[in-house]
This record gives sequence, C-alpha cells and structure tokens, in this order.
Amino acid sequence: MNAGNETDGGAWQAPPDSSADASQRSARAYFLDGVKIAAGGPTLFLGLTYLGIGALAFQANVSLGLVLASTVLMWAGPAQVILLAALINGLALPAIALSICLSSVRLMPMCVSLLPLLRPRKPSIATSLYTSHFIAVTAWVETIRRLPEMPVHGRLPLFMGIAHTLFAGAMIACAVGYLLAGALPLALAAGLLFVTPVYFTIALLRNARDAIDWLALGFGFALAPIVPMIFAAGFDLLALGLVGGTAAWLVQRYQRKSAERAP
Amino acid sequence: MSLLQADIWRWEYWQGGFWPYIALVIFGFLPSEIWRTVSVFIASGIDEKSEFLEWVRAVATALLAGVVANILLNPPPALASAPLWARAGAVLAGLIFYRLLGRSVIAGVIAGVVCVIIASAVYAP
Repeated sequence: MNAGNETDGGAWQAPPDSSADASQRSARAYFLDGVKIAAGGPTLFLGLTYLGIGALAFQANVSLGLVLASTVLMWAGPAQVILLAALINGLALPAIALSICLSSVRLMPMCVSLLPLLRPRKPSIATSLYTSHFIAVTAWVETIRRLPEMPVHGRLPLFMGIAHTLFAGAMIACAVGYLLAGALPLALAAGLLFVTPVYFTIALLRNARDAIDWLALGFGFALAPIVPMIFAAGFDLLALGLVGGTAAWLVQRYQRKSAERAP
Repeated sequence: MSLLQADIWRWEYWQGGFWPYIALVIFGFLPSEIWRTVSVFIASGIDEKSEFLEWVRAVATALLAGVVANILLNPPPALASAPLWARAGAVLAGLIFYRLLGRSVIAGVIAGVVCVIIASAVYAP
C-alpha cells in the first residue's frame, strides 16, 4: 500500500511537473492545478458538510448573511457547528467562545506542519496570516503529502487554488443548505453527516506512507474511546493528538535507531 | 446581578444592525483564529525537513483520526439513527470500495454514505 501511492489513482496524482519544464511553470498554472485537484471530490465533500451547516443556521434562526460571514471569518466547520448548536440551545456567549477555542486547537498542528512547506521566500506576516486562515482539515489532507514532492515555487499557488475552490464551493453550499433547510429526511441527514468521517478516514489512509503515519492513525483511532475517560471534555482532543502523535514519532525514531545499529 | 450573568453575554443582546456580526467576531472568529495566528509565529523558524515537523505532522494525523473515531462513536443525533456496527461497517465498505475501484476517494465516500443511508432508513424508529 505504501509504494504505489504516488503513481496510481487519479485523485492522488501529482501535477505533471516531474519533467524538465517544472521550473518554467507559472504560478497561474499551479493555481489552476489546485483548482482541478479541489474541484472534484474535496469540494463536493466539504460542500455537503456546509449544506448541513447552512441548514443548522436556519434552525438557529440567524440570518443568511451571518452564517456566510461565519464561514468567511471562521473557516472551520466543527467550530461553526458548535456556534450554531449553542445558539439553538441558548448558551452564554463566553461558554460558546470557550468551546470554539478548545475545538479549534486542532488547527494548530495542521498550520504548524503545513506553513513551513508554503514559503518560497520569506513571506510577509500578512501573507502568512492570510495563508493560515485557509488551513483547515480538507485543505490539509489534500496538500500535506503533495507539497513536499513539488517544486517550492509552485506550492503556495497550488494551495491557494485548492483553498479558494473549497471556499467558493462551501459558500454556495452553505447558502443552498440555508434556503433548503428542513426538507431533509432523516436517512439523508445521516448520510450527510457521514461524509466527513468516511472522507477523512480514506484521505488519511491514502496519505499514510511511512510507519509514523500508520502508527499515528492507529493510535488516534485506538485512543479515541479511552482518552475521554481520563481528560476533561474539550481537552481530550488535544491530549489524544499529543499522546498518539508523540507515541508514533517515538516508535519511528526507535526503529530508525535500531536500523542504523544493525549491520 | 453578577458579571457572568450580565445581559451582554446573551446572544439576544447583540441583535440589530451590525451587532450580530460584531458578536461573531468576538465570540466566534477570535477564539478560533488565535490558533492559526499562534501557528504562524511557531512555524516561522522551522525548516521543512526538521524532525520537529515530522512530530507535528504525526500529532495532526493522530488528532484527526481521533476526531473521526469520535464522530463514529458519539455521533450527532441524525447519524445515530444508524447503529454503531453499521457506522463502522460503512467506513470499512468505503475503504474496500476505495481500494477496489482504483483508489478512487469519491467511490469510497459514496459507498460509505450509501451504506449509512440504507442502515438509517432500515433501523431508524
């Protein structure tokens, strides 16, 4: 499963830039590659999630403008779901802010692992902040394995192509979901909610190549039922990532050390 | 009235004109965006080949796997209409279709979603 990932399967294929003309491809060409990568499955899957968020906003009795603004400003599906569900339940705003803050911790390891791949030259703070705003789960799983294999100058345009396509799709889906709200049968609603877990599971498996990836994945799944028993709600997610990721990293380190020592 | 029970902490207080948007920035945007902003400064000195980055990537992967497992174990109400074994089976079906149909992510996702829709239609009260 490890070796073939780069060559087979349309969705994972790198843009055809391994030939000699890679250095001459323009930023525009890379941006369009990004649009093409995102325009199929990823935008469809994220769009289905945002369809649900639009419908939830309708139930929460907030305006269409506000839920679209939350998509622009927050660009983090789970945090938006928390916000809207909390407004439906009439929670106090500081409690909502705290839940959002704890949920969005997940963005930090994603941003820290992706941003160093996305700077051709020393970027300005404004560019980095703008770039980081578009880092969320979908853009992360679609780029974290693709970017290191690409020429450095093409990475940021490719990422921007992916991110802006996802964003446009999410905004449209959010508005459609708001306008259609309430018309969804239960079984379809269940299917809609299932898009995220099955898509991310497949994407994570597709991305996994080295032992550390498989271990991190396995530990993440295995720890999920255990960690909430030990850590307080809200902190369990971060604890799970730190424990599972560190364990995977240590095992890989140990394996490498023993491989070096072996004759 | 204590400070924590003040009207200002209630959503209804921020109605009319631009006030909901200001509340969105304070109570939605800022608590979420702070992590991205912090990350920009943490990431600024890191080499892309460093071992630290490998560790962060492993943390992100484990965290994401945990998020997925959590949705499957403690699903939102509508998804809970399909029983746990059906949700787990649907993920498995998704992975099998993904592999069988030439590593097509779309095929895998559609297969998984169709399984859940059927299970929900059959088992929902």
